[in-house]
Amino acid sequence: MSGHVSTVEPFSQGSDLITALAPEFVLIIGLFTLMIVPNMGDATFRIPLTQVRLPWFFGGKRRNLESDPRLPGLLATVFFSIAFLLCGVSFVNGMARTEIVTPGGTPMLKVDEFSRMFELIFFGALALASAASVNRFPATSRADRSPNGLYNNRRQIDFYILLITTGLGMSIVALAQDLFMLFIGLELASFSTYVLVAFIKESREGTEAGMKYFIVGSVASGVGLYGLSLLYLWSGSLQFADLSVAFAENGLEPLPLIALGLLLVGFGFKVSAAPFHFAAPDAYAGAAAPIAGVLATASKAMGVLGLLRILLVVASPEATDGSAVWLIALGVLSVITMTWGNLAALGSTNPKRMLAYSSVAHAGYMLAAITAIGALNWESGYVDSSNDAALAVVTALVFHLAVLVCFKLGAFLVLSLLEAEKGGHTLSSLGGLAKRDPFLAVAMFVFMMSLAGVPPLSGFVSKLLVIMGIVKVALLDVVATDLSFADIHWVWYLALLMVINSAISVFYYLRIGLVMYFHEPEEGRTGPLPAGRSVRFAIVLCVLTTVYFGVGAGQLIALCESAANALVGAW
Amino acid sequence: MGVGRLTTDWISLPLVALPIFSSLVLLAFVARLSPAAKEHIGGNIRLVSLVISLVMLALTTAMFIGANFIGDMHDWTGLNFSQLNYYERYDWIESLGIHWTVGMDALSFPMVWLTTFLLPITIVATWHEKNAATYFPLILLMGGALIGVFVSLDLFMFYVFWELTLIPMFFLILKWGGKDRKYASQKFFIYTFTASVIMLLGLVTVYFLQPEDLPHAGKWTGRTFDIPTLIAHAQSANASGEWFLGESLQKILFIMLMVGFLVKLPSVPFHTWLPDAHVQAPTGGSMLLAGVMLKMGAYGMFRLPLALFPHAAQHFQFWLLTFGMVSLVWGAVVCLGQTNLKKMVAYSSVSHMGVILIGIATMQPLGWAAALFMMFAHGIISPMLFAVCGAFKHHYHSMEIGAMRGMAKHSPWLATSMMFAWMASLGLPLLAGFVAELMMFLALWHFLSSEGWSVLWMVGPAFVLAVTAAYYLWSMQRTIFEGGDETQPPESLHGEAVPDISDAEKGAMLIMAAFTILFGVMPWIALDMMHDWTLDFFDAFLIPILTGGGQ
Repeated sequence: MSGHVSTVEPFSQGSDLITALAPEFVLIIGLFTLMIVPNMGDATFRIPLTQVRLPWFFGGKRRNLESDPRLPGLLATVFFSIAFLLCGVSFVNGMARTEIVTPGGTPMLKVDEFSRMFELIFFGALALASAASVNRFPATSRADRSPNGLYNNRRQIDFYILLITTGLGMSIVALAQDLFMLFIGLELASFSTYVLVAFIKESREGTEAGMKYFIVGSVASGVGLYGLSLLYLWSGSLQFADLSVAFAENGLEPLPLIALGLLLVGFGFKVSAAPFHFAAPDAYAGAAAPIAGVLATASKAMGVLGLLRILLVVASPEATDGSAVWLIALGVLSVITMTWGNLAALGSTNPKRMLAYSSVAHAGYMLAAITAIGALNWESGYVDSSNDAALAVVTALVFHLAVLVCFKLGAFLVLSLLEAEKGGHTLSSLGGLAKRDPFLAVAMFVFMMSLAGVPPLSGFVSKLLVIMGIVKVALLDVVATDLSFADIHWVWYLALLMVINSAISVFYYLRIGLVMYFHEPEEGRTGPLPAGRSVRFAIVLCVLTTVYFGVGAGQLIALCESAANALVGAW
Repeated sequence: MGVGRLTTDWISLPLVALPIFSSLVLLAFVARLSPAAKEHIGGNIRLVSLVISLVMLALTTAMFIGANFIGDMHDWTGLNFSQLNYYERYDWIESLGIHWTVGMDALSFPMVWLTTFLLPITIVATWHEKNAATYFPLILLMGGALIGVFVSLDLFMFYVFWELTLIPMFFLILKWGGKDRKYASQKFFIYTFTASVIMLLGLVTVYFLQPEDLPHAGKWTGRTFDIPTLIAHAQSANASGEWFLGESLQKILFIMLMVGFLVKLPSVPFHTWLPDAHVQAPTGGSMLLAGVMLKMGAYGMFRLPLALFPHAAQHFQFWLLTFGMVSLVWGAVVCLGQTNLKKMVAYSSVSHMGVILIGIATMQPLGWAAALFMMFAHGIISPMLFAVCGAFKHHYHSMEIGAMRGMAKHSPWLATSMMFAWMASLGLPLLAGFVAELMMFLALWHFLSSEGWSVLWMVGPAFVLAVTAAYYLWSMQRTIFEGGDETQPPESLHGEAVPDISDAEKGAMLIMAAFTILFGVMPWIALDMMHDWTLDFFDAFLIPILTGGGQ
């Protein structure tokens, strides 16, 4: 199933490395551009002992272009978009699968459909988020050359630099073939997001959110790292390939199981699975809305990616009994997560917290799907159908994460426009949005319906695919033997709980629609919202993709399927 | 090739895509306008909507006439699922086996015609609705989604349209509804959505229980969402006398599917969303809700669980009958206690839906034809009931039964319409409702006596006959006849002159009344194809089971 894989050593074959990792290099160039361009001015350099002054562009008086507060945001958007397009282009005419290896030949990074698909998700989300931040981030006009104005301008740069490092960290997670590489990428992305969450340091919520997110996040990282070191202690290698072999041989020993549990904590925090989700609502509520959107989409995709790598590749399910141990734990976790998320979302009146809890519920659905893969029967005779079923579930997960960027991030972007008028923290600030700004109300309603899983929007297709994946796994044994309800695997009940939960969730998604269309605007909030052209452009993109991937899901499914093939074929 | 022979593309484009896309275009166009401009353009939008709906009605009527009277075009007899009329199929999501498949048979055609019939009627009857610029496109969208449900022959498509109907109705209730519209629209949405996701899980489970080698399968999953393929497969399994998918699975799946359809129908005890939704909904919304949307439940039962799981249907016959009987009796008894005209009509709908369920439960061709005809007849009569309620609301600003007296003298047109609609609904002979009820009685009687069930089951319908007459006559007498001091108009008018209904409303009432009479006097126009369809269905699905040692 796996196609030809070429290998590249860093530093030895320079051009090959650059073609293989083109999107990442684009981001690195973007990083330096962001550092350099806004700092260029008319400064000169005097050659010592002479009066000759040579132009030296760093520092001095900025020209209009460089001092424009929108410049860093636009630059970041452009670089993310280029990286996104490069990832997309790499799918055309078949992916050139490439491994980046150490001089000894050990694979460190691997470029294949799976990693590129996740990079599409990451870069897409980050491009939308940076485009949305261009107008709304507090910045003074270009005419303001006062220290305060310039200071705000510099902070702008920091913000987008952090966004780019987040993107770089995430792409390392996607590419990593080694648990240690994966962790480095994870930490790079995490630390960038810690700062981004606390970026509005002037507000109490921002500081509080940053602190909570940082403390809980670093505890989770520490626990995960401990699990990692236990794994290393046990097997002597952190290569996915080596670990997978070791698990297949004796994965039932207590040491690796404990290590796996600890790693689960680390990634559970990233996907905001209960009971590690406590920081998420506070972080989402305190962070700027586009950043909260990134946390709910790209950051979560990163966590799911880690879970997939660790649970499916490392703790290889071919060890039939070994998988059952984490299987039950994960199943229970998924039920708790989806139910808790939905019940908490029912009671929250802050739309951002509500979206955070809905994100928790979605994490539960995804965990249920991952559980289903663990339930596969790998005894001989079932291998083919199990492989198919695993493919179905992974495809569903990737699809879900991809379309989540469209509607979940879109919902946060709508809230970000409300934030511009100090709203967005209470449900009532959405009141009368339908009258004030019909476009935003329609967009928000589309996003909410998609989150609830109402056809024909992409949220429905993703939920359907997840349910289909789970049911397919649950029915594998039934089809093979004679038909009886008792033969259905218990993961079928996860699907049942999932549909019941998504029925509960309709209540709070619908409430947003009701407030927008039914309630009167709050006092002092009249007239249309601030223009924010780039945010609105991003929202339009989100609406169009939300609808398009629902009505014409075929192409995206094919893309996700090729991604899933790259992962599942690696078994 | 007969005159005006209809080619295959005549369902997707004009009946589904046209109303949906034109309404979306109209809504997008209107959204950009200022409130004053919206007000100004409302009349034109209404006219465009009316023209589109009339085009659709003309097309379905042409299909009907072509099928019945031109002769060489098609013959409704001998229809089965492999031989659907106007059958179209395009690939949609190939990897999952999802196709855009539409077609009509004698089960879906009456419903499609009914929808296209009600759209212009609804537009005309609510001619003066406020915010016309967004209201009429929503009605059109509703119509397109409803037709989509009836014509889709792919489970995925079916579910997509099934849920799509919720959105325009949600907005119709929310934006044009009464005082408690927020509560009602939410309850309506959540109630039916919950039931349908349970149905969805059942459908997905059925999907994966198929063998992989069926036609139209997706290349990735190896299964198909194609309903005719699925049913043909179930039919061949059932015909051998075995339970399709095994006994325990079939029972569970039957229940899961029926949950979705019983809530939509609705049957007691899942009916509580209906009175709220109806009372709060605007007149046009109520007309489509009662006229067509409730029938989605009954249509779905015929299309899926009864065709796929006839063994389970027979196994749960007692429960189906009980649900139907309880709906029939409870709906009628509750009507007696209502003081709100519209709420009473809503509960009477619950009662009539009980008739459909009883007809299905008899497992007799006659009973099923009764159910099918009831779906059709109720689809013409109940919009008229709601149009009358809407007229009361619109002109008298009140729907309290005791609030107005002696209206017959003030507004003869409204009083006559009310009298006619009420009589049609209580089952006056020569009107459409009577035919269905009579058939149901006969079928139930025949079923009870031939299968040896207790005759006491007949007490329910007999009792309901009396109760129905009581609440209809009582409400009518108190509203339009009694206490007529003609100098004293209802208090809710605050001393204004008593109006009668507008010309547009008169026209709508007349048309609905005319068709009620038409299908009461000549029920065979619609009944023939229903009857043929039922017989074919029984031959194909039920005879092997009923003769194979049932109860």
